[in-house]
Amino acid sequence: MTMALPKFIETVVGDLGDKRRWRQYKERTKQLPANYRAAIDAVERYLMLFGPGDGDGTVSMLEDLADLFEQSAADGTPIREVVGEDPVEFAEAFLRNYRAGRWINRERERLTDAIDRAAGEDR
Amino acid sequence: MGKQMTEILKGTLEGIVLAILAVRSAYGYEITAWLRDQGFADIAEGTVYALLVRVEKRGLVDVEKVPSEKGPPRKVYSLNAHGQEYLDEFRKTWDFLSERLEQLHRGGR
Repeated sequence: MTMALPKFIETVVGDLGDKRRWRQYKERTKQLPANYRAAIDAVERYLMLFGPGDGDGTVSMLEDLADLFEQSAADGTPIREVVGEDPVEFAEAFLRNYRAGRWINRERERLTDAIDRAAGEDR
Repeated sequence: MGKQMTEILKGTLEGIVLAILAVRSAYGYEITAWLRDQGFADIAEGTVYALLVRVEKRGLVDVEKVPSEKGPPRKVYSLNAHGQEYLDEFRKTWDFLSERLEQLHRGGR
């Protein structure tokens, strides 16, 4: 069965192998208890905004996320204990493990270059 | 856990977790449970997990997958030589910081 991919995912997860892994990830999240699934979907949404801009990086990140939620569901760790008091804090700590998305990288380079020029250290 | 604790922990949790792994190998859940026992009451499982993903990517720990009774296989982490070097470096940095703070508390310079 082919699962329809959202257009955005289609663009990011272009490679066939990555698409297969994306579908496997989605299958894994479907197996989770409803509240864990709701939580992982919410974290996924946030990560997709800032995460790696390529298919391989994106799917690797999500696979790591699924590992965490599957283990937590198996251990019965309450959602609040998994993501902590501040879910944004958790999501940001998690994101730091992966390359930043294309547009963020572009903006970081732009900022660094602009300051180099302003400081008279044009390279 | 207060906001201040959260902020300070951001920079030090890595060193703390590596120090735990220097004593013995452990999996994520054990590390989180130990931290909670030791007074880091509100530490999130996910925060420790994110940290373990990071130290694994940076090659500071060795990872062994061990089958578990329930759920997916558990990853057991142990500190390797590279991680030990990193931990030694962390200890020096920590000593430097705490000495300077101690000086300030005593009103010296």
